[in-house]
Formats: sequence, C-alpha cells, structure tokens
Amino acid sequence: MKQSGYGFLLLLALMLPPVSNLLESIMITHMHMQMPMLVFAGFLMAKFFQKRFPQFFEKWNENGLPGILLFTIIMVYWSLPRTMDEALTMTSVEAFKFFSLPFLAGVPLRDSWRKLSSSWKHALIIFFTVLFLGMGWLYIWSPVQLCNNYLVIEQITLGWGFITTAFAMVVYLVYSYFMDFSKYE
Amino acid sequence: METIIRNSGKTQVFREKANKVMGISLEDARLTKSYLSVAFLAILLGGMLGLLQGLNRAGMLELPVWLNYYQVLTAHGLLLVVVLSAFFTIGYFYAGLSHTLGGLLPKVRKMAWIGFWMKIFGFVLAVIPILMNEASVMYTFYPPMAASPIFYIGLVFIVLGVWMCAFGAFINVASWRKRNPGQHIPILSFFATGVFVLLFFGSLPVAIEVFTIIPWAFGWVETINVMVARTLFWAFGHTLVNIWYLTAVSAWYVIVPKIIGGRRWSDLLTRIVVIALVMMNITGGFHHQIIDPGISEPVKYMHVFMSLAIGFPSLMTAYAMFAVFERTARKKGGRGLVGWYKKLPWGDVRFLAPFIAMAAFIPAGAGGIVQSTNQLNQVVHNTMWIVGHFHLTLGMSVVMTFFGISYWLVPYVSKRVLTPQINKLGVIQTIIWTIGMVIMSGAMHWVGLLGSPRRTSYSTYFDNATALSWDPYLFFLAIGGTLLMIGVLIQVYAVFYLMFFAPKGNTEFPVAEVEEDAAPTPRWTERWGLWIVCMLVLVGMAYVIPLVDFIVNAPPGSPPYKTW
Repeated sequence: MKQSGYGFLLLLALMLPPVSNLLESIMITHMHMQMPMLVFAGFLMAKFFQKRFPQFFEKWNENGLPGILLFTIIMVYWSLPRTMDEALTMTSVEAFKFFSLPFLAGVPLRDSWRKLSSSWKHALIIFFTVLFLGMGWLYIWSPVQLCNNYLVIEQITLGWGFITTAFAMVVYLVYSYFMDFSKYE
Repeated sequence: METIIRNSGKTQVFREKANKVMGISLEDARLTKSYLSVAFLAILLGGMLGLLQGLNRAGMLELPVWLNYYQVLTAHGLLLVVVLSAFFTIGYFYAGLSHTLGGLLPKVRKMAWIGFWMKIFGFVLAVIPILMNEASVMYTFYPPMAASPIFYIGLVFIVLGVWMCAFGAFINVASWRKRNPGQHIPILSFFATGVFVLLFFGSLPVAIEVFTIIPWAFGWVETINVMVARTLFWAFGHTLVNIWYLTAVSAWYVIVPKIIGGRRWSDLLTRIVVIALVMMNITGGFHHQIIDPGISEPVKYMHVFMSLAIGFPSLMTAYAMFAVFERTARKKGGRGLVGWYKKLPWGDVRFLAPFIAMAAFIPAGAGGIVQSTNQLNQVVHNTMWIVGHFHLTLGMSVVMTFFGISYWLVPYVSKRVLTPQINKLGVIQTIIWTIGMVIMSGAMHWVGLLGSPRRTSYSTYFDNATALSWDPYLFFLAIGGTLLMIGVLIQVYAVFYLMFFAPKGNTEFPVAEVEEDAAPTPRWTERWGLWIVCMLVLVGMAYVIPLVDFIVNAPPGSPPYKTW
C-alpha cells in the first residue's frame, strides 16, 4: 500500500503549477516525460484500487483485455498533436489529462499486464512500436507545424524521441524473440 | 543421447571444480599474464611521461623541441587512460571469468588473443603520429583540433579489439548460463558482464565520432560538427572512467571481504549497484560539457540530476563496504564505536591498498559532485582542479585498487606466492603512492582554485603576478610526481618479480561468499537484455534533445586545426 501513497504523491507533485509548467514548456518532456510519469503514478496507485475493489476488476477485467484496450485508447488519444495543444489552452482538457493518464491508463495497465498472455504482451509492444515509428515519421517529416504551442524544432526533437524509443522496443522484441528463457531458468 | 548430455554435463562440473581447486589453466593464465604485462609496462612508460610533465609545470624542466609538452601529455593520457585501464580490466576480468565459470572456452580465448593483438596494433598506429608530433591533440581527441588520420585509424583498431573481448565475455557467460540453468551468474562474472556491456555500448558513440573524424582528417570533407563530435566523445569518455571505477568496485565487493576474512554484504544490493551503474552511466557524459555553448540551460540542469543519480549507487557501495569491515572486525573481537578498526589486517597490502583507494573516493566523489554542479563548474572547469580530480579518482581510487589486486592476481596466474618481503615492499609502495598522490592532487586542486589553467605547459604569462603566485603550489606537482615515479618503479618491480621470480606455490583467487543467512537473490537481476533496453531508453531520453538541436540548428562546421 505504501507504493499507492508514493503514486499519489507523484501525481500531486506533477500537478504543482511550477512542475507542470516546466515539463510542458518543452514538447518532448511534455509527451515523453510528464505523460509517462502520470501513467506511472497510476500504475503505483493501482494497488489501492485492486485491494479496495477486487470484484470490480474481477468482473470487468477478467482476462485483462478490456483494461489494456482502455489503456491503448487513452494512450493513442494523447499521442495526437491536437490533444497536446488543447491541454495547454483549455483547462478542462488539462484536467482530463491529469485524470485520464493515471486512472484510465496507469491503473488498467497494472491490472491487465499480469493477466495477459505473453503473445498479447508482445502484440501490444509491437503495436506501440509501429505507432511510435509512425508518430516519429509524422513529427520529423511533417512539412508544417503540428502544434500551435511548439516550434518546428521541438516537433522534430519529439519525432526522434519516438524513433529512439521505438528502436529500444525493437531491440527488446528481437531479444525476447531469440532468447529462450527456459534454457536458462 | 541423454547419457552423453548428462556425461558432458558431469565433465563440465568436474572441470569447474578442478579449475577452482587446481587453479587457472596454463592457457588462460598466459592470456591474463600478457594483458597484465602490457598494463604495467604502460604504467612504467606513462609514469615517466607524467614525471616529465610535473617537472615542467613546476618550471624546473624545459622539454626539448623534439618531444614537447603536448606530445608528452597526449602519450601520458593514452598510455594510462586507454592502455593501462583497458589491459588491466580485461586481464583481471578474464581471469575472473576463467576462475568462476570453469575456464574460458577455446573460442573465447582465441577472441581475447585476437583482441589483444588488434589493440596492440592499434596502439602502435596511434603512437607513431604522436612521436612524429602529428597528433598532439591530447587523449580527449575531439575536434576542432585534428591529428594525423593514422592516429584515428589506430583508435579504431583499439575499439575493435575491445569489442572482441566484450563479445568473448558474453559468449562465455551465456554458455555457462546454458549449462547451469536457474543459477545466478557468479558475482565476479556478473561484474564482468556489466563492465563489458558498458565497454561495448560506451564505445559505440566514440566509434561513430571517429568515423566522422577520419574523412575530415584526410581532407575528404571540409568541415565537421564540433558539438556533435564532443558530445559523442564524452558519452564514451565518461563511460570509460566509470568502467575502471566499476572494475575497482568489483574488487571492493567481492575480493576485499575475503582478504579480511569476512563475507560479502547483500548479494542483491551488489547486483543492483552493478545494474544501476550500467544503466545510468553513458548519459553522465554531459557533465563534462557544462560550459559548452549550444546546450540550453534546462538540458544542462536535467543532466546535473542524471549525474548526481550516478552518485547514488556509490553511496550504497560506501555503506556496504564499511558494514563489511565493521562486521568482520567485530567477529574477530573488535570492540568500541570505532575501535574495531584495529582488527583489520593493515599490514596486508592486498587490503591496505584497496582500503586507501576506497577512502580516497570520499573526497574524490565529493569533488565530482562539486564539478557536476553548474555554478561551481564555472569556477573550476578549465583549471588544474580537474586534473587534480581525475588523479584522485583514477590515480588513487582505481589504480591503487588495481595495485592491491596485482599482489594476489599475478601470483595466482603465475602459480607463485606472495612473499612477506614483497608484501612489505607493497605496503611501503602504498604509503609512498598515497603521500605522492595526496601532495600532487591536493596541490592541483588548490592551484586550480587559484586559477592555474590545465592543458598548458609552464608559463609565467610575461611574469604576471597572479601566474607567479601559482609557482609554490606547482612545485608540489614535481615533488608528488617524483614520489609517484618511485611508487611506479616499486610496483612494476613487484609485479614482474611475482610473475617470474617469486617462489612457486598455489595462490588462491579470493572470492568472498555471501552470509550464511543471506536471503536469496531474485531472478530479475539476471535479465540483462531488459537492463540494456532500459539503458538504451535512458540514453535516448538524454541525447535526443541536444543532438537534434546540434544537427538541425548546426552552425557552420569547423575545418581541421593544428594548434601546435
């Protein structure tokens, strides 16, 4: 339960105006640092909800698929350039960001991950790898500025951030494809 | 078929046991002896060049035109920073792999030999232009200063040789894991894996850098992006520094407890320290660039945080080490709040040298924290302070640990024993080295604070009063350097005596066991692939912002400069 407390503290810290202003002032830290940290905060807090409402998760997330679908929808939503812009200009969208990423992405991710079979896990990583490559391609080679709030150079930086993260995921996929853990364990 | 597999399994188990009882096989021993010989010849030569520099900076020696200060500086750096450290690290860890994994595989041994000769070849190639005064670019060989292309081609061979050894180690560890399913990699081989992972991934950026420099040095392309090259260099440079440090740390965790007759501190903590150092290291390169223009303040701020994060595993190490000392000393009857220290084997050079090395890391680490702090770095960056810092970290914390290791490793691979006389000589050497390095590096720190610049030969700047006020401190560089040279001579004598002339006998490879009631180490510590992916993500996070900025907003590139 301690970790749920830490997760809540992390969420509060990320909500502090100076912290959120700093992280949102750079495009790549907004998307690749603040957003994942919000998901991570929810991931930590998930323990609290799992203990408090075990039946809810049992009933609605029996095999992990509904949870991971919700996670994916939320993540894809926040990958759109327009949503980032709106988060910066409309308070209601900003509030939705601070709610949806921890509670609708982080919590279901934690609950679903253990329930998923390894092929589903790999499918998810492959999906995000493809998505990240696509997003990287979009942000780097887009001829126009995609966000009103960020300069083109920041857009290109974010694109390369997507490509490098996708590269790391490819390394992981290749590693787990060629490694036969049963030989070692 | 099954019987054959079972039998070959048994043969392997027998081989591993025989290896532990009877000592290292002759072929594995020859490999380590060759690596160590090169390492200690490098320190002999590098030490002499160091003394020349110390005497010059004290204003006592004018170097001749045919061997100027910057040639000496470049060769000193290359010999000690690249040759000594790489050859010692590889020789030591290959002996460790051989001891803990039941001998090296024949193909791995062959790879290590190919790596050996590639490095020697590369080193010879790099030294020729230095001697011809065509490569006085110092061991931080980034643009805009350009050396002869031969120098960089030599460096390519050194890197390829290192990769050969890294892959050899991975093959040996993977093969052991296949033969021993469900078991943890022996702790010393775990350290070796971490070190070789860092050696490989840390040298990738410098390989990219050198491949962009070579066409520029040949004149095939006119200009080069200086900021990109510097950043790639320091991604490697910082990692290299921490590779030696991790090598020294391996001896602190694994060897020293055995020598003092104790047991290892938590196995889990040790493995977490290795994983943390491997994951966080490469990004530390940025704190070498704090005063570089072209990196924005927020990015520098982020990297101060990343650099301080590397300090955290070191604090864990400090705690673990002193816990082992106290626990062991109390078991031997030590009493009092600090009175237990009397029970430690102070007369044993195998303990004394690494202990002083560890103690030196307290001020050395504190100095490092000072330097990675933005404002304080502005004060010391281009001064002798930095030189003092890396002589304290490398010249004491790392090299003294290497010396301490040599007093059992060399007899172990030579099937000889450490005699009481050589032990005594070793204690004397340790004391001389300590005094020499404290004097020299202390003076460097101090005179650095007073503004004396680094990377320059002696000058009074037209008898400027401030410059003249540095002279008394610089004098200590000569005194310390002389003491250190005496230390080098004793050390090299001891190593070659132990290798070829000491009485024959069996020396143990001292690997400490964990406590009897130790909790089992979780399996996730063995997921090296996952740690490497985490490291890559971290490196990506750290480098994407500045590198994209350097490349997209690049200023006009720089032509090659020869400033000497």
